[in-house]
Amino acid sequence: MEIERRIFKATWEHNGNLEPLYEVEDKGDEILVTFDLPRVRKENVKINTTGDTLEVIAKMSDAVCWERWGIVQKKITFQAFRKQIKLPEPIEPEKAQALFKNGILRITLPKVRRKVLITID
Amino acid sequence: MDEVVRIVEEEGILHKKPIVLEGLPDVGLVGTIAASYIVEKMDYREIGYIESDLFVPVMVIHEGKLKNPFRIYSDKDGGIVVVLSEVAVPPRAVYPLTTALADWFHKIDAKLIISIKGLPVKNRMDIEKPEVFGVGNNEAALGELKDKQVEFLEEGFIAGTYAMMLWECTKRKLSAISLLAQCYPVYPDPGAAVSAIESVKKFSPELTVDVGELLENAEEIKLKARDLMQQTTLSAPEMQKGVEQDMPIMYR
Repeated sequence: MEIERRIFKATWEHNGNLEPLYEVEDKGDEILVTFDLPRVRKENVKINTTGDTLEVIAKMSDAVCWERWGIVQKKITFQAFRKQIKLPEPIEPEKAQALFKNGILRITLPKVRRKVLITID
Repeated sequence: MDEVVRIVEEEGILHKKPIVLEGLPDVGLVGTIAASYIVEKMDYREIGYIESDLFVPVMVIHEGKLKNPFRIYSDKDGGIVVVLSEVAVPPRAVYPLTTALADWFHKIDAKLIISIKGLPVKNRMDIEKPEVFGVGNNEAALGELKDKQVEFLEEGFIAGTYAMMLWECTKRKLSAISLLAQCYPVYPDPGAAVSAIESVKKFSPELTVDVGELLENAEEIKLKARDLMQQTTLSAPEMQKGVEQDMPIMYR
């Protein structure tokens, strides 16, 4: 079952990175990707995109330290969010736009699309 | 003990026609965040838990103590009961869980059941102060919403635990409402929980909880709630949450 399986897949890594919550939406002519990045300031967000991937690295303003936590870890510290996404369709990297507000990063990625007008006989 | 869902309460608990606050996980984890905050700040006592073979086989440890993730709390006067969970409700458990809870609410003679939930909105990023809308299950509940000046949803579909909770309460002639705060669909939303708590307070003057600390700690809460949010999001399609964005066909 999906939920049970998910519980055993951690959203953190031993290298101090947390996987952010994110959502990918197909909006027809563009792909909209949002990330939830608490404790992050706009100037500490790095976004890289190729034609078919998107990578976000976001340094937190204060590291998160969880102590007395978990079965495998006694103490762990996270400094950044990091996520690489394989995009469902090729996009035009030069036309990508991003907005960061209230800890949410919204990236708009226009798809590579060649429109051909079809005339009606 | 052959019930599918068992509500286990400490012996000797007295309820005085309580208002029940239900904060099971749903979009934006609005109910879970709000209910947990209320329990902590009002220092409510744990009085029971819910168990079922349909739930995931998970227990939580807090301060070294083993706890059931589905817990029930109450104030010392027996006037308020809070139901919350730290794990997602499996879709197959929704019907038996809401049935068992409604039976129990009837047994403790609950005055009003309030489900605290989120209303997912696509432009949440642009909303500074989320609005709260209500759904009532009968004339008395709608009257309560009007009286407290909570705008109510007039048309649409609702899905998930709170939808079935409203229905199961209707069948038992219990008044129930859902308070839905505008929220992010797939991100924990403490800001929406603040709006929801402010609405809940209108229904219970005993709830004197100050929401300041919830706003101050919003980022910390978002970090801690990530995994539960993921579990909840994964169960959303099976809960038919998408239908909430649909327009109903002609009605009545």
